[in-house]
Amino acid sequence: MSLVPDILLTGAGAFILVSLVIVFRVVRGPTMQDRVIAVNAIGTNIVVVLALVAAATGNRAALDIAIVYALLNFLMSIAISKFTVERGGVL
Amino acid sequence: MGGDLLVPVDDSVTLRKTVAHVANRGRDAPGRPTLHFVYPLSERLDAGEETTAAADAEELLARIEVWVEEDLGDDADQVAVETALIGSAEYLFNPGDYADVITEYAAERGIETVVLDPEFNPQGMAPLLPPLERELSSAGLDVDLAPVERPTRRNPLTRPAGLGQFVVLFCSTYAFYLVVGGTLSTFDLATGAVSATIVAGLLWRITTRGEVDLTSLAWRLARMTLYVPFLLWEIVKANFHIAYVVLHPRLPIDPRVVEFDAAVWSEMPATTLANSITLTPGTLTVDVSQRHFTVHSLTRSAREDLLDGGLERAVRFVFYGRSAARIATPRERGARTGEERTSAEETAPTEEAAVTEGENA
Amino acid sequence: MTPQEIAVAVLVAGGAFFALVAAVALLRLPDIYTRTHGASKSDTLGAGLALAAVALTFGAEISTVKAALLILFMFLTNPTAAHAIARAAADQGIDPWTVDEEGESE
Repeated sequence: MSLVPDILLTGAGAFILVSLVIVFRVVRGPTMQDRVIAVNAIGTNIVVVLALVAAATGNRAALDIAIVYALLNFLMSIAISKFTVERGGVL
Repeated sequence: MGGDLLVPVDDSVTLRKTVAHVANRGRDAPGRPTLHFVYPLSERLDAGEETTAAADAEELLARIEVWVEEDLGDDADQVAVETALIGSAEYLFNPGDYADVITEYAAERGIETVVLDPEFNPQGMAPLLPPLERELSSAGLDVDLAPVERPTRRNPLTRPAGLGQFVVLFCSTYAFYLVVGGTLSTFDLATGAVSATIVAGLLWRITTRGEVDLTSLAWRLARMTLYVPFLLWEIVKANFHIAYVVLHPRLPIDPRVVEFDAAVWSEMPATTLANSITLTPGTLTVDVSQRHFTVHSLTRSAREDLLDGGLERAVRFVFYGRSAARIATPRERGARTGEERTSAEETAPTEEAAVTEGENA
Repeated sequence: MTPQEIAVAVLVAGGAFFALVAAVALLRLPDIYTRTHGASKSDTLGAGLALAAVALTFGAEISTVKAALLILFMFLTNPTAAHAIARAAADQGIDPWTVDEEGESE
């Protein structure tokens, strides 16, 4: 039996723990941008977790979810940045 | 003269109505006012594009003169019309730049009133008009918005595009569809072709900019494959550096804002350089306006690396070829870092940074 | 352990390490700009390493291509997002922190 799934799942666990630490920055702020960058970092970690779980369980559909999540995560950051700069003038 | 009007123009949907409005206003004004139609034409460094853009602008200005004559008919001698291309020696990037060239033109000729076309938006990107209006009025000019009806379609997103753009967009969309689909079955091939046609058909005028030249694109991709390992190595090396800095108990950071003019033009190279700078730890691109990069650096050594210009040379290599890669470093070209100041003036960089941000606000 | 297991373990551990560095950077550094440094780069490299492990696990198949796409995408979008956020902060007039204020930090 290969150790690879265990390694991957442990890695996923580590990424989740790290994300929990970052939640502190989301709650604390103090500025909007601090929260956005923290949420963006958590989003990146979630993408990684999705991909790791996909690899560990052999569930390839989760990889597609990860791709879509990565796209949405990027859009979230850009949209909020644009929104705060242009005061609602998104697009 | 008091009645003179300055009208910045570009090829907008409401241009015709704006010209009619301005012509009427000129006729009703006392005396024989001069109507100045100016076309702010940003400098482009890829020469081919520049000449066609200039030719288009000249044509538009000629058309405007004809329109004014049409509108005034017999009263045509009550106004004088002047047209000009302005700003062609500069790279116009943000509303401030446009305001600068327009005010300069107005000041030279003693014009006090500017009439703006409500759809005036030469860059076709983020809303230009409100900040432009603000900048012009703060420069002491009277700014009027031409009272013309806007058609429902607000910002024309499309740009002129050729078959090349369509094909490139179609192929990349199709390839992405097939990769995500994961099979080459007839069903996927058929639905993919349909989806890619729809996407490319809807977006081909929006996504790409400029003509696609396949040979130069291929060369760029080839040089890009050389660039990627270099960048990866830089990223890894510098990440260990940042890990050391962040995990160090005393947090030995010395953040400072650096400004320099990068020797890259057009969008793609500037984006690549900005992203590479951001990915290389210790440096973070805060703002790029024209070629002017504002970079936040975390430590002194990161700043040194940045000003040695290795990344910039590499990006120039990718986009302009090997001969362009040899260039003086940003330091030699006079980048502003605050580093050369004496320690007594330690607060100066902060002020400098604040000034930069004030400009952006 | 097979070579593949070792490689995967090293990549995942590296990824987790840099993700941790990013988290510590987010918590410890004094202002938005410096935090963005940590989050945008270390996190990108961490994600890149972990996704490389994923690609390695799948071996030669379409999922590997997807993982590679994901890596490419991370390297393109993360700095762009960081840049957008930093620029938003600059536009709002948030001053960068400098060493002079060291006394009040930490």
